[in-house]
Amino acid sequence: MEIRTEILIIGGGATGAGIARDLSIRGVPCILVEKGDLASGASGRNQGLLHSGGRYAVSDPHTARECISENRVLRAIAPHLIEETGGLFVSLPEDGLGFQGEFLDGCRSAEIETSVLTPAEALEREPNLTPDLLGAIEVPDGVIDPFGLVLANVRDAEHHGARFFFHTEVFSVGLSRGWLGKVFAKDSVSGEEYSIVPSYVMNATGAWANQFLRLAGIRTSLALSKGSMLITNRRLTRAVINRCRPASDGDIIAPNDTVSILGTTSVGSQDAADFDVTGEEVSQIIAETAKMVPEIAGARFIRAYAGVRPLFRVATETGEESDRGVSRGFALIDHGARNEVSNLITVIGGKLVTYRLMAEKAVDLVCGKIGVATPCSTHLRTLPDLEEEPGPPGLMPHAHGQEYAFRGTVICDCELVSRDQIEKQIGHKKMRAFTDVLHRTRLAKGTCQGGFCAYRLMAMLDEKHAVEGDSREVLEGFLEERWKGIRPILWGTAVKEAELIETIYKDVLNFHTPGVEPGA
Amino acid sequence: MPSNDYDLIVIGMGLSGLMAAMTAAEAGKRVLIIGKGMGRLCLFSNSIDFLGTLEGDHMADGISAWIAGHPEHPYAKAGQDRITRGISMFRSLFIPPYTFCAPGAGNCFIPTGAGTYRPTYLVPSTMTSGVGSAEGALIAGVEHFKDFSALQAAGGLNARGATIPLGRPRDRDFTPMALARLIEKPWFRTALGREIKRRMEGEKRVGFPAVLGLRNPAQVREELEYIVGAEVFEIPILPPSIPGIRIFNRFKAWFDQGKATFLLGPSVKNPVVKGGRCEGVNVLNPPVSRLCTADAYVLATGRFLSGGLVASRESISEPLFGLPVVQPRSREEWFGKSFFDGHPVNHAGIRVDEHFRPIDDQGRVVLENVRIAGSILAYHNSIEEKSRDGIPLSTGYAAAREAIES
Repeated sequence: MEIRTEILIIGGGATGAGIARDLSIRGVPCILVEKGDLASGASGRNQGLLHSGGRYAVSDPHTARECISENRVLRAIAPHLIEETGGLFVSLPEDGLGFQGEFLDGCRSAEIETSVLTPAEALEREPNLTPDLLGAIEVPDGVIDPFGLVLANVRDAEHHGARFFFHTEVFSVGLSRGWLGKVFAKDSVSGEEYSIVPSYVMNATGAWANQFLRLAGIRTSLALSKGSMLITNRRLTRAVINRCRPASDGDIIAPNDTVSILGTTSVGSQDAADFDVTGEEVSQIIAETAKMVPEIAGARFIRAYAGVRPLFRVATETGEESDRGVSRGFALIDHGARNEVSNLITVIGGKLVTYRLMAEKAVDLVCGKIGVATPCSTHLRTLPDLEEEPGPPGLMPHAHGQEYAFRGTVICDCELVSRDQIEKQIGHKKMRAFTDVLHRTRLAKGTCQGGFCAYRLMAMLDEKHAVEGDSREVLEGFLEERWKGIRPILWGTAVKEAELIETIYKDVLNFHTPGVEPGA
Repeated sequence: MPSNDYDLIVIGMGLSGLMAAMTAAEAGKRVLIIGKGMGRLCLFSNSIDFLGTLEGDHMADGISAWIAGHPEHPYAKAGQDRITRGISMFRSLFIPPYTFCAPGAGNCFIPTGAGTYRPTYLVPSTMTSGVGSAEGALIAGVEHFKDFSALQAAGGLNARGATIPLGRPRDRDFTPMALARLIEKPWFRTALGREIKRRMEGEKRVGFPAVLGLRNPAQVREELEYIVGAEVFEIPILPPSIPGIRIFNRFKAWFDQGKATFLLGPSVKNPVVKGGRCEGVNVLNPPVSRLCTADAYVLATGRFLSGGLVASRESISEPLFGLPVVQPRSREEWFGKSFFDGHPVNHAGIRVDEHFRPIDDQGRVVLENVRIAGSILAYHNSIEEKSRDGIPLSTGYAAAREAIES
């Protein structure tokens, strides 16, 4: 099928969805293609932080200013997706109070509100903090539901006429004399192929940017950095807890509804889908975060996961080439101005909290080229409050499904997800039924991580004839994916859980190594 | 005042502990069996898996070949003869109409709730009609019973699936326990049977999740068969396992005839160890703790799930006696990269001598009068071997024999 559009956006993360919303509100026709489900890259694999900018106040003042200004915008346009937890920057004895001065100066010049707390005040607010702390500074950090944010942008854009193609991967482009005339994409659910004829193409593929640019014949040196995170089985603090020192690994404890997310590491990576968490990273995150909240050393973890950040490499002042030295700001690359491809713009880098600003700048640039003068208004319009229950991989959504808790059949006992909630999600056309339901509900996000409810979900999908292919293979695929997140945290009570689930599937139900028939 | 002194104290109430206690009690010994919970039996067991990976059609021959090839394996420690006697003792507990039998001389296959077949050895009478193949049967599930999907099971079994609507109990869903109890009530069973019958399309057999009652499963099945007009067989499902609870209850009923002191709930703490012998254990029933003593002890506390083994971030330990645990060198090696790998951690456990006494890495006996039984033993992988019930059954028997013969 051939589709003509003004702007083609590639990538269904926060940036792509934000661009689609901005364009459609300005009245520019656009479509977005995404090879997986929405927010399946870094947008869904992060700590859910609504940064105040404090973390960048010393090292990257420009990013810090962007963060605080967007922090205020998001609190105004997406209050339903945000928990205003506040944040503390905690000074530990081994760090001393030396960094506090620089930090306060940085915050002042970036216009981030601060208040200095004594150790007693900090402990009163956060009793789980180490009693050894030397002091703490309060900043307006918060947490946001990233999946809900992306979904709200998508729905708002759809409302304004944008079209979305999920599970649709670009596999080839038609390039002639530096002009992207056609982009070919294939729907991996239906198998249908599209030939898209755009005026302009926006590359918002995040960690996958290199791959797309290579299709368009462009070489880039986009740096990738893997960050690993751990989820505890309950919430440890009220506020976001940061370490008051230059950014380093294992510095942040982010609450997220009923759990806490500890992070992160920063490891240079070559692979946009490098989601393996190593034992070394796990030990490092626990060792560092436990210095701030000692209880972490004995906590029960339910999952480890990783996201791959795309970073735009700029020379640091010291000339040091560390991954932390790479800017967390964003860049727009106008491939036309670089005489590469005249109708292609790449949007790279940035933070979840600055996604809207990135989209605004990118859309300003493309609107200038196509002669649209309408100004951006995404910062003035509230994002829709959706009935859908979002739930990104590993993250708690803002609105827990309490109201459903005791109504009807409960499919997920850990997170009290009811049959009704799941049925709402099934039957959406163009869905990868199993994984998309997991994406959009709290199912399998609790302590057993889907050990029981995955079988039940599969049964429901079977009843609705909504399973693609062999349902046992889909279930086996889920168990294998689940294992990636669980294997790094297997000790203590988590090993009991592992024995339980392994015995159910491999023993009682006799699932076998995929592809190998029993007795063969 | 009851005496706190016994011939044998068995710690743990899984299949290994139950077997050990029965073995000693049957030999006329004064036995105390203590369990803080009901063990893995009640979660997983349905039919009795002995050595599912065994090829060939004779279990006894297969086991002796296996023993020859695996000298450290718990079956080798138990020995062919005691394995046979253990099986006989287990089977003697189940009198008609609910019995366990071996449909062939070797392994047979039973259908599971995921639509797979699982190799097994002893099959309860409620499952026999499904042995070999469920092809052409009607697989019946119950609406609002989420732990069994008739369609999913039927898909893999080349059968037809049907989900029976029975209304929703108090606006909630059915649990396996609730269904097992309801199905014992004639009005419920009749309604269920009629609904199944209405959906029959000439099938000669009906497969149903393994929840056909706790007390009289054979009778429940028989009456269902009468109403439906076809043979009915049970299919194993997600935990808890009703057939496993039946086994547990049967043992308990036997002990409760005055054969052994049966303590479910209290935990065992702070054993008194002197000169390489256990001289007593503290039985904790808060707020009371009392010292119980015996000539011999059987430790049958299971693996991680039941608390027999404990994993810290650094290593695996045995929490009650602090026994040496055979284990991989580091945590990185515990689990394979794939969920479907045979994980090295499953081979970890307590190493024993030929008398089931715990030994250290030099082969020295650590505790003279303590025997180790069941899944806590090292050098087996019951998931890969499909020996989940066979290991506790044989080693529970063998360890108790060692304890009372010495």
